[in-house]
Amino acid sequence: MSKDFEPRIVVFACNWCSYAALDLAGTSRMKYPPNFLVIRVMCSGRVDPQFILEAFRRGADGVLVAGCHPGDCHYIEGNIKALRRMTLLKRVLEEFGIEKERFRLEWISASEAEKFVRVANEMLEKIKPLGPLKVEEVHMHG
Amino acid sequence: MNEEPRIGVYICHCGVNIAGSVNIKEVVEYAKNLPNVIEARDYIFMCSAPGQEIIKEGIKKCNLNRVVVAACSPTMHEHTFRNVLAEAGINPYLLEMVNIREQCSWVHSDNKEAATTKAKILIKMAVAKASLLEPLKEITFKVNKNVLVIGGGVAGLSAARDLAAKGFKVYLIERKPVIGGNTARLGRLAHAEIKGIDLVGELSRQVLSSPNIHIYVDTELANVDGSVGDFKIKLVKNPRYVNEKCNLCGECVKVCPVDVPNEYEFGVSSRKAIYLPFREAYPPIYVVDSENCTRCFECVKVCPMNAINLAEKTEEIELTVGAIIIAAGHEPYEPPIGEFGYGVSSRVITLFQLERMLDEAGPTKGELKLDGREPKNIVFITCVGSLNTTPNAYPYCSRMCCSSTIKNALMIREKHPEANIYILHRDIRTYSRGDEQLYLKAGESLIRFARYREAPNVIVNPDGSINVRFFEETIQEEVFLPADLVVLSVGMKPPKDIDKVRTIVKVGCGPEGFLREAHLKLRPVEAATDGVYLAGTVTGPKNVIESIESGSAAASKASTLLTKEEVRVEPLIAVVDEERCSGCSICIGVCPYGAIRLKTQEEVRVAEVDPALCKGCGACAASCPTGAMQQFGFKDAQLKSQVLAALIE
Repeated sequence: MSKDFEPRIVVFACNWCSYAALDLAGTSRMKYPPNFLVIRVMCSGRVDPQFILEAFRRGADGVLVAGCHPGDCHYIEGNIKALRRMTLLKRVLEEFGIEKERFRLEWISASEAEKFVRVANEMLEKIKPLGPLKVEEVHMHG
Repeated sequence: MNEEPRIGVYICHCGVNIAGSVNIKEVVEYAKNLPNVIEARDYIFMCSAPGQEIIKEGIKKCNLNRVVVAACSPTMHEHTFRNVLAEAGINPYLLEMVNIREQCSWVHSDNKEAATTKAKILIKMAVAKASLLEPLKEITFKVNKNVLVIGGGVAGLSAARDLAAKGFKVYLIERKPVIGGNTARLGRLAHAEIKGIDLVGELSRQVLSSPNIHIYVDTELANVDGSVGDFKIKLVKNPRYVNEKCNLCGECVKVCPVDVPNEYEFGVSSRKAIYLPFREAYPPIYVVDSENCTRCFECVKVCPMNAINLAEKTEEIELTVGAIIIAAGHEPYEPPIGEFGYGVSSRVITLFQLERMLDEAGPTKGELKLDGREPKNIVFITCVGSLNTTPNAYPYCSRMCCSSTIKNALMIREKHPEANIYILHRDIRTYSRGDEQLYLKAGESLIRFARYREAPNVIVNPDGSINVRFFEETIQEEVFLPADLVVLSVGMKPPKDIDKVRTIVKVGCGPEGFLREAHLKLRPVEAATDGVYLAGTVTGPKNVIESIESGSAAASKASTLLTKEEVRVEPLIAVVDEERCSGCSICIGVCPYGAIRLKTQEEVRVAEVDPALCKGCGACAASCPTGAMQQFGFKDAQLKSQVLAALIE
């Protein structure tokens, strides 16, 4: 495995909790690896599994979906909808041969900047040894 | 918008906050070469007046129709830059912010090269999305000037009073047959030398004297439609079976054959199936407890006023209001049978039962006697139901119990100088004004404090006597106390049926079931749902002072909305492409706000979004199988363009 492999990880962060946690990590001057590229959505319930498949198809080495804790959703229960969808998606990803370490759904509240940093470090640690996602080996159509 | 995208990218240094870790010059050069970018410029503070001028100038000079600002978090200045676009004459929603401060320069200040590369990719993602942005029209609503207050406790009463004083019409609903809430059942309150019932009486008088307030007791919330500024409310008024002709003569009570524990006295005394909750109750009308009434009609026969009608039906009431205040209160924690001997021995009571016994106007006329004898050894146990003391307890501190325990212990001390009074506690939290002095006074009055960590063991002996055993933390010894009376200082828990209210009004709750504020510190009396405000203990334990304060705060906050003629809402809501919609109605099941319905158009069923109800979560868009359902500002194509730009070189 190339030592220089820097995974590119797409993050879908809900506006109210997780995006705010990422901002807090900044205002608190925390440090985390620069491999995470954030796409802001209003709610984790907005994340269509197709976006994640698209990300993997286009060469993402990992995807993180981050939303409010259950019960804290700004839109009552969008995060629960995300949980249902992502549980199913995990099985689909498995079918495609995408290692489970490459995808995570996490509840990160607006005050949990540290949790994001921890999750980011963990993800990177687990994805690096896997190497880049070899899309051509994965039978994905669409 | 069919014209070609012409994008301007404006990169902020934020002093050294961004420029210190990101090579701005390199990023500007990179941005210039991105697709559709006409101009890329940087400035030391893009949010400053000269910075804003640079953008306006660019829009005019380069004939831009999209703007990307790479600066701080959109929560900080998105609003500022939207205004800049509007002032320059283009739609404010043709802006995309790039967060290169909080989510780039500050967190990667240790790696300038990586920070610069990441800033470039983030800008590339935003430029891709900006190319697909559409002009959007803000949604405005007229504001109805009426308010609904849910809950007639001290928080609801003070909110109603303040709003009425500002000239708004207030509808106050209370599901119980009386207003006053939990405070009405408290005896003498600490410091104020006023009884709970008198405090409620004073607040009620202020409320009742206002022609702007309409009170509905026995009334529950049935449905809420509409949104901020224009809520359509449905109420259900349960039958009371006694009307206002009632003159409180009490003849009915004499003939009623039913005896049930009186919940308004916490079961210390009993009541009939027809009763007045308490003497000073408002409204001063008897009520029939239909659950326990045997329909013997004896009361109907003896009522001299003909005020009783057992055939009364529920009544539906419809209202329109601009704002809703939820002040639904709390319930005291009820220990399960056997917890600290509760329900096993009549000598184990709760703090509220003690409050009723010590009240001169209460069922025992203020006399504290058990089986005809005054208790000699009295043991209070605090944190019952709080601080995870027992497996059934809640994790939080209930805030009022320490002070209330000490106040009651001192009241007992006044009448019983010989009694041995112990307060077993996890921690004493007498934080409210004057409470610490009360704590000191208790010590001077020989009330003994002892600290436990593991919940004390209350042993009910076969002969009925009680012993309390616990490990005292300060002296590090096992202590064994005989007790004639054990008082459990119970905490607060969310009120029964609060889930029903919060589902109807659409407000979130915390892990314990209390309602959630929009922001704990910045917006403590607002719900995340626009136009909904929260007051009193419905958000968590508070003492009487704090409850009244939050009632006034919620009223003040609500009035900032009610004084407006119209409200503006960000149009980031769902939208249907009718051509693609198959009418499958999956989105309808997913929508938490009931904002989508099917309409028939040219004999085809298609989904339709009510812009007044949609809050813009996008759950429907994520679940639409044909891609017909989209969300403005977060369309599939816009989000996918960001994914693509993030990954493809």
